[in-house]
Amino acid sequence: MSAFIATVVVGIGTYLSRAVFILALAKRRIPDGALLALQFVAPAVLGSLVIALLIDETGSVALGLPEAVALVVGGGVAFKTRNHIYTLLAGMAVFWLVSALI
Amino acid sequence: MVVDRSVVKRGVVDALPLFVPAVPFALVIGLAIGEAGIGPFVGWSGSWLIFGGAAQLTLVSLLGSGAAVAAAVTAALVVNARHLMYSAGLAPTFQRQPAWFRWLGPYVLIDQLFALCSVQQEQDEDWFRTYYLSAGFTLWILWQLTTALGLAIGPVVPLEWNLEFAVPILFLGLIVMGIDKSSKVVAALVGAGVTYLTAGLPNRSSLLVGAVVGIAAGTIIERARR
Repeated sequence: MSAFIATVVVGIGTYLSRAVFILALAKRRIPDGALLALQFVAPAVLGSLVIALLIDETGSVALGLPEAVALVVGGGVAFKTRNHIYTLLAGMAVFWLVSALI
Repeated sequence: MVVDRSVVKRGVVDALPLFVPAVPFALVIGLAIGEAGIGPFVGWSGSWLIFGGAAQLTLVSLLGSGAAVAAAVTAALVVNARHLMYSAGLAPTFQRQPAWFRWLGPYVLIDQLFALCSVQQEQDEDWFRTYYLSAGFTLWILWQLTTALGLAIGPVVPLEWNLEFAVPILFLGLIVMGIDKSSKVVAALVGAGVTYLTAGLPNRSSLLVGAVVGIAAGTIIERARR
């Protein structure tokens, strides 16, 4: 039972963290300075996520040769094709290939 | 409101590759729920009560390891604190949307959806809303199914495939596709670099530190330029 309550509490907290600015700023004028900064939320968060997702349980970043080469190739394919499926296929293929070779 | 089917299709199609890496993750959560001994329904309820894999896994594994409930809840909420940035990042676009969508939309605002929609904020209101809901609920339905599947049958995709690595690849692709000026390149690189340097911080808080410094770096460069 306490596990279910814990899940409900985390669920409410998560919803609030996703909703708070969308709801609070719905009818307010957002200051120009904030708007200027908000455009950098997406690139900064995504850039950080790329690395954060590679952090293992010991707190170190698992960024070896296969990961590095795959990210470069995936980024290149994304730039050229603007297509998520091609990006995924190219990146994972290179990742598996380099992992198998070293 | 007339729903444009081509936009629905686009949302679903864009969401699918982003879901592929979530499959092994969902299966791991299924396994963790089994090991935690909190009961399958309670464990799976996090899939729709929380709808966020990292927080759900954190909560389930900490509860399973015998941690205090308050500590498990706190850790899961810290893991999910990054959503505050998504909320702020999309707030200007949601200002032009109807109230019901401002209440419903945040429920499905996970990493992948933010990544997809943050690069579509220039679209018109109907387009954005249709795309957001199509992609968001595609991810939602698949998540409910795969976490239930993981619980029922265990890992059907071998974990040695390292499919989870597809997420950073796709996110890098989204950065590349979303960048329209050099100050955004700086924001992404500084965010990644600072996250790398602070990787040892507990509860994935290096992500928050990196993101905040990256936003600041992009803003400072943009200011200096004006």
